[in-house]
Amino acid sequence: MSATATVAATAGSAADRPAGGGLVVALLLPIALVNLVGFLLPVFNLALISLQEVQASGAMTGGWSTAKWVSVVTDDFYWELLWNTIRTSLGITLATLLVSYPIALYLHRSSGLWRSVLLVMVISPLLLSAVVRTYGWIAILSDQGVVNSVLKAFGAAEPWRLMFNLTGVTIGLTEILMPYMILALVAGFGRLDPRAEEAAATLGASPFRVFRRIVLPLSVPGIALGSLLTFVLAVSSFITPKLLGGGRVFLLATEVYDQAIVTLDWPLAATLSMIVLVVFGIAIAVYGRLVRSIG
Amino acid sequence: MDKPPISPALKCLAAIAFLFLLAPVLIVVPLSFSGDVFMSFPPKSWSGRWYAAILQNPKMLEAFLFSVKLAAGVTVVNLAIAVPASYALVRLAPRGAEAMTSLFTAPLLLPTIVLGLAMLIIFARIGLLATVPGLFVAHLVVTLPYVLRVISTALSTLPIAVEEAAATLGAAPATVFRRVTLPMMLPGLVAAGALSFLVSFDEVVLSLFMSGPRLSTLPVEMYHHVESRADPLVAAISVLLVVFTLAIVIVVDRSLGLAKTFVK
Amino acid sequence: MMHQAPTAMTIAEAGPVRGQGFLSLQALTRRYHDFVAVDAVDLDVAKGEFVSLLGPSGCGKTTTLRMIAGLVPASDGRIVVAGRDITAMPTYRRDMGLVFQSYALFPHMTVAGNVAFGLEMRGLPKAEIRTRVAEAIAMVRLDGREDRKPGQLSGGQQQRVALARALVIRPSILLLDEPLSNLDAKLREEMRNEIRDIQRRLGTTAIFVTHDQDEALTMSDRVVVMNHGHIEQIGTPEDLYERPASPFVAAFVGRTNRLEGVQQGATVTVSGLAIEAPIPKSGPVEVLVRPHRVHVAPHGAPPPAGRNRVDGTIRRATYAGNVVQYEIDAGSVTLTAEAATAGIGGLIPVGTAVTAAWAVEDTLVFGRPS
Repeated sequence: MSATATVAATAGSAADRPAGGGLVVALLLPIALVNLVGFLLPVFNLALISLQEVQASGAMTGGWSTAKWVSVVTDDFYWELLWNTIRTSLGITLATLLVSYPIALYLHRSSGLWRSVLLVMVISPLLLSAVVRTYGWIAILSDQGVVNSVLKAFGAAEPWRLMFNLTGVTIGLTEILMPYMILALVAGFGRLDPRAEEAAATLGASPFRVFRRIVLPLSVPGIALGSLLTFVLAVSSFITPKLLGGGRVFLLATEVYDQAIVTLDWPLAATLSMIVLVVFGIAIAVYGRLVRSIG
Repeated sequence: MDKPPISPALKCLAAIAFLFLLAPVLIVVPLSFSGDVFMSFPPKSWSGRWYAAILQNPKMLEAFLFSVKLAAGVTVVNLAIAVPASYALVRLAPRGAEAMTSLFTAPLLLPTIVLGLAMLIIFARIGLLATVPGLFVAHLVVTLPYVLRVISTALSTLPIAVEEAAATLGAAPATVFRRVTLPMMLPGLVAAGALSFLVSFDEVVLSLFMSGPRLSTLPVEMYHHVESRADPLVAAISVLLVVFTLAIVIVVDRSLGLAKTFVK
Repeated sequence: MMHQAPTAMTIAEAGPVRGQGFLSLQALTRRYHDFVAVDAVDLDVAKGEFVSLLGPSGCGKTTTLRMIAGLVPASDGRIVVAGRDITAMPTYRRDMGLVFQSYALFPHMTVAGNVAFGLEMRGLPKAEIRTRVAEAIAMVRLDGREDRKPGQLSGGQQQRVALARALVIRPSILLLDEPLSNLDAKLREEMRNEIRDIQRRLGTTAIFVTHDQDEALTMSDRVVVMNHGHIEQIGTPEDLYERPASPFVAAFVGRTNRLEGVQQGATVTVSGLAIEAPIPKSGPVEVLVRPHRVHVAPHGAPPPAGRNRVDGTIRRATYAGNVVQYEIDAGSVTLTAEAATAGIGGLIPVGTAVTAAWAVEDTLVFGRPS
């Protein structure tokens, strides 16, 4: 019945309609094109580039080679880079969790207009360029910055080096990634029924024990998701490490950028970026296993 | 339902955490009124010279104007692409709609540094590097998933019975869409548009890969400035950007509640 | 009631000739993969008639209505309106008014805008739209609220807007999909009368979907009882109640006692009890008796002629104000009887030995698979 299609296109639940194929294709064509040209092709090409043969001059021959992979895997520098990146990112994740948790719990317990205001305060930094926020941290952490001015006023002779090292990068990224963690935690708290806490309190649990026995276990899924997000974003960020590290902090992402823009060794940059993806995959796998073990 | 009372200890910890979260944004305000040549805190003298300096910096001004135009153009095209796509995926629900949605939002999952490199390599080959179309496509790729997601959510939460009602009253499918579906989606469109504009306006990673000496966006110019010089110029720009962003956030929040768009 | 709408009553008595109704459903079927939601439904509705589709949820009544509206394509069969096959016609050309359970008002338009929408779609001149909208709004008694948005109205008012919006286009058929189920009990009763009055006044043909037997019985000229995608019975409310075509209809429309037994001639034996049936036959049967047709009298009172009787004791008495329900333990069977209350002290205490009796013609007997 050809008329069925016209009837179906008018209205009805999704199950009712064998959708008009031509219309669907026409409506989806533009987005599919953007996805193909701007995403699928470049990423597929990137994977291939890491397997391209390169001459000593840096020009690509067009042949295939696993040379880049071999040289990266056998070079201690890159192993150290990888280890540095993972260690730093884990540290940042832990720090972010510790600073974000009180805010998330506070948000969960507050209500009304005050909660909305606080929520906007948490979200707004997301809408502000990482460059601006990193610049703010330079103003706080540099030798002439806020912290060292205070220390000097108390009589410190030497400035405390908080920038151009891992300390600065960790502090800056922790703050920059906080909104993601807070939002994941708040979403996780959604499942937390205040009556469970009240029930525990009526059963004689002190506030601290209510937190440890009821609140904390129930917020584990939120913690897991927030930690995954934060870790993954820490591994791949390079604006903050570049600016706060001042070229003295070497991480996987900054190395990708340097190889791509400064050294112009694209196959190497491609290989390193594939390693970033491998780290991503491992993090997601660990998260998946964790979530399953929680049940 | 009553929420449990908040203990003083938690209040204290949350206040400290909030201070930490907002510190870098708060600090640039006094810094922007510094009268010093170099960045130091507290400033030795106060002035509005760095605000004046923005107006005398043609590179920054040019980059700002380009960023605004780019973000506006990207937003318009985003909506034009995402509205029909959402309609097809949500309302016409063809086979594999879910898989397609995942594919179209996949660029969000990829680290921008990897995406930036991938685009750099392929765009260099076809001569789109440091061109307006190149930057435009790059911004489109990273903002479209947000727009698609927000609009699809808005569309899927619309009660379908209202559209059916319009059809029973004699409205043809195109009329139903124009007179009923689109107006009801308006809050979603505003949210998607604002998000698209802000994400594009603040985008720095892809822009760094895609821009060149003669064509760059404001965040890229600011990045290069911070990298090479430690003066309060960027503080003054930052304050203006905070005001700019806040204005957009407040306008959107007034019309539909920003919190709702982010936290379900 | 009779003198108000004589035509409706005469139609109700017979119903239109098969295939000749103003609205005619012919072997209408809807399949979802291998599930048959509506199975070869035949129904004819006369012009001006008010017909209810009644049944439990999932019985196919809403799907039938949505097929009539064109919101769900039919898998098989035909829908004919005024002699014209509209099975393949898109919804927006069908000229039917549909009132949704959720009202489905346009939230971004005013009350007047909602009501005017259908007229605008028909390209009527502005002046005519204005008068007809005003009339429709007055008809549902919402004058003065024309410029409100639906969100500013109560549930009952939204319901009226939905009704006005559907009626203002002077639809060939008015479709109502459980329109009262979101209202509270008192308002529901008020709206029943209001909908019925307006429908009579305008002479609109109406199809009303409900799972509420009270609504169906009190509002309709005829009721269609559906179950598992089939029509169990079509009839006037009285038909359905007094002459149910199946145990399902008897149980769904009103409450009933249900006993299983074996019939031989005019006598049904239910666990040793002999019950007289109005029509002789033989085989395993189900015996149904309405509780309020069962009369309870003190034990030993002489039974009137032509009555079935069962002796037992009152096990439980449930007082509900206007009626009292007695659960009677008769050894092998349990019967429920319902009696009107009559002043203080009229209740029979629990434990009293009683005789339950009912007329032979109130005994409904259906064959059952052995």
